Amino acid sequence: MEKLKKSLKNCDKNTVTLLGIAVGIVVIMAMITPDFLQGSNISSMAFQFPEFGILCFGMMFCMIADGIDLSLVGTANLSGIVAAVIIMSMGGSPVSIIIAIIAAILVGALCGLVNGYLIGQLQIPAMLVTLCGGQLYTGLGVAITKGPAITGLPDSLQKIGNGSIGGLIPYSSIIFVAIAVGMNFILKYTVFGKQLCFMGSNATASRYAGINNLRITLLTYMLSGILAAVAGIIIISHYGSAKSDYGTSYTLLTLLIVVLGGVAPSGGRGKVLGVALAIVILQLISSAFNILRFDSFFKTLVWGLLLIVVMVAKAIIQAHPIKFRRKLS
Amino acid sequence: MKGIFSKKNMTTNEMFVVYIILALSLLIGLVNPAFFALSTVFGTARSMLITSIFALCEMVIIISGGIDVSFPAVASFCLYFTVSIMNNFHIDSVVFAFVCASLFGLVWGMLNAVLIGKFKIPALIATLGTSSLANGATLVYSGGREISNIPNSVDALSQKFLFSVANATGGKSALTVFIILPIVLCFFMHWVLKHTMLGREIYAIGGDANAARIAGINVMKTQFIIYMAAGVLTGIAGISNTILMRNANPSNLMGAEMMVIAAVVIGGTRITGGHGTVVGTVLGVLLITLVSNNLIMLGVPNYWQTFAVGLIIVIGTSITSLRAKKIALSPKL
Repeated sequence: MEKLKKSLKNCDKNTVTLLGIAVGIVVIMAMITPDFLQGSNISSMAFQFPEFGILCFGMMFCMIADGIDLSLVGTANLSGIVAAVIIMSMGGSPVSIIIAIIAAILVGALCGLVNGYLIGQLQIPAMLVTLCGGQLYTGLGVAITKGPAITGLPDSLQKIGNGSIGGLIPYSSIIFVAIAVGMNFILKYTVFGKQLCFMGSNATASRYAGINNLRITLLTYMLSGILAAVAGIIIISHYGSAKSDYGTSYTLLTLLIVVLGGVAPSGGRGKVLGVALAIVILQLISSAFNILRFDSFFKTLVWGLLLIVVMVAKAIIQAHPIKFRRKLS
Repeated sequence: MKGIFSKKNMTTNEMFVVYIILALSLLIGLVNPAFFALSTVFGTARSMLITSIFALCEMVIIISGGIDVSFPAVASFCLYFTVSIMNNFHIDSVVFAFVCASLFGLVWGMLNAVLIGKFKIPALIATLGTSSLANGATLVYSGGREISNIPNSVDALSQKFLFSVANATGGKSALTVFIILPIVLCFFMHWVLKHTMLGREIYAIGGDANAARIAGINVMKTQFIIYMAAGVLTGIAGISNTILMRNANPSNLMGAEMMVIAAVVIGGTRITGGHGTVVGTVLGVLLITLVSNNLIMLGVPNYWQTFAVGLIIVIGTSITSLRAKKIALSPKL
């Protein structure tokens, strides 16, 4: 018990709050409808969250670098489309799938590098670059597919998004956990991660400290592009087809999750654990809406409302730090 | 003072946009001689109408150091709810349509202002949230359906023309009366920005909000005025769009923010705030409209259009940003 208390104290307040919210949602939903805790609902949740969950880490890294990545969905779709084109032209053999995945990741990295170059070298604001970049990559996707979806992807590819170990743990959620662990390692235990946080909190100071800001920016956006490509592959294997307008609502969702997960929009701070918890919370809310048969339009409204409420709450807490600290302790 | 054609005047950002517009028009005209006609002018003016109202609001907001991506959603909200109210209560009045839409816009603008001015939330995140909220509300209420039944007297406005000209082919090209709206707005905005205290305050808080505050400017008050005025104008643009399109569609304006921000930035407004002119913005809107309307004429297939527009935006914004950086780094005399 003592140990538990100590570890709780060591945990930062944001993580504890998020955990509380998650537990609260589960308890409330379990009281409203027992369907919520049924195996089928839980496993369908496990299939849904990796798609946008992986995108969130890309957004998180960019935001820690005091930037933002609004081109994630565009990059994901473009990578998915490139992969689909390669698979379809090579007849859908296992080798073609591996080549397609590598090509998709290269495309993602390239998109990220373009973003990073424009932001880091030409000093154009990240918001503008990625907003335009998103349009550019989506447009390229439209041009490749000529509009309609690329369908008829082989079953072996669809296993990534729809297959699971023993019908319980989906492959995609394993990929998600692996990426989360990897991102946590990069952020906490590598030089790049530390330099990223320094640059995000004060770019001028980090330059004077001898950090190559351009290199860090390029790496950050490249990483974000690669994560987008991985999400893109999961998306095409989940749907069994590739199209340029899948997941358009994910941009706002990832932003909401990252902000909810405790990443400061002004850069420099952020924890993988917080973001991962925020992903779980959003998936819980989303599933709750599905079970209660809410309109899918209703989700758009709630995501917007949540984003505003979270930001306002943070602003109020930040404006009165002493008052709240006294209240909480 | 060497007159209008001095080297200084010929190399401003606005002039570069003019050169590009001229070159593009020549190119389109060479490929398709039908381009050089009065109907093209009217058609382009008609396409620019709504975009330029949005762009002028966006320009003022960007000059003040913010950004607004919520206006398509807010405009859709205003137009849909206004038309719906008018149909449900059988109100058939042009004045009511505009007042109601502006009031809805005002409320949304106030929400943006509170989030950005009072709580100091980054403008992009705040307006993304507002956008999602407004769009969600519109979609939940409408269920995604459009209203094609517009009250008669309001609908009649769509057939009011300033003047019309008969074509050589016997057809008629006409200029809608709504074109007065952006023209008046342009002159008004120019006057506000250049000749009033408020305009100077907007440039000042965009340049450096902290310095502006120390200089005695009420930053929050200025931000409230900007965002609320933008909200009102967005509402008016929304209802105008409905009247021109002759239906109330909850989602056909969505996605306009890309083009509008691009037009503003290409027109020389710096995304970091503090710089920007009405003339530049109008030229930016003209360029973007020409490109998106006439790519087909140049033989660009339909499915390449998103990419082509995206590419032009990226190149355009890169060039303006680079020029701004060069000017910022050049020695100041």
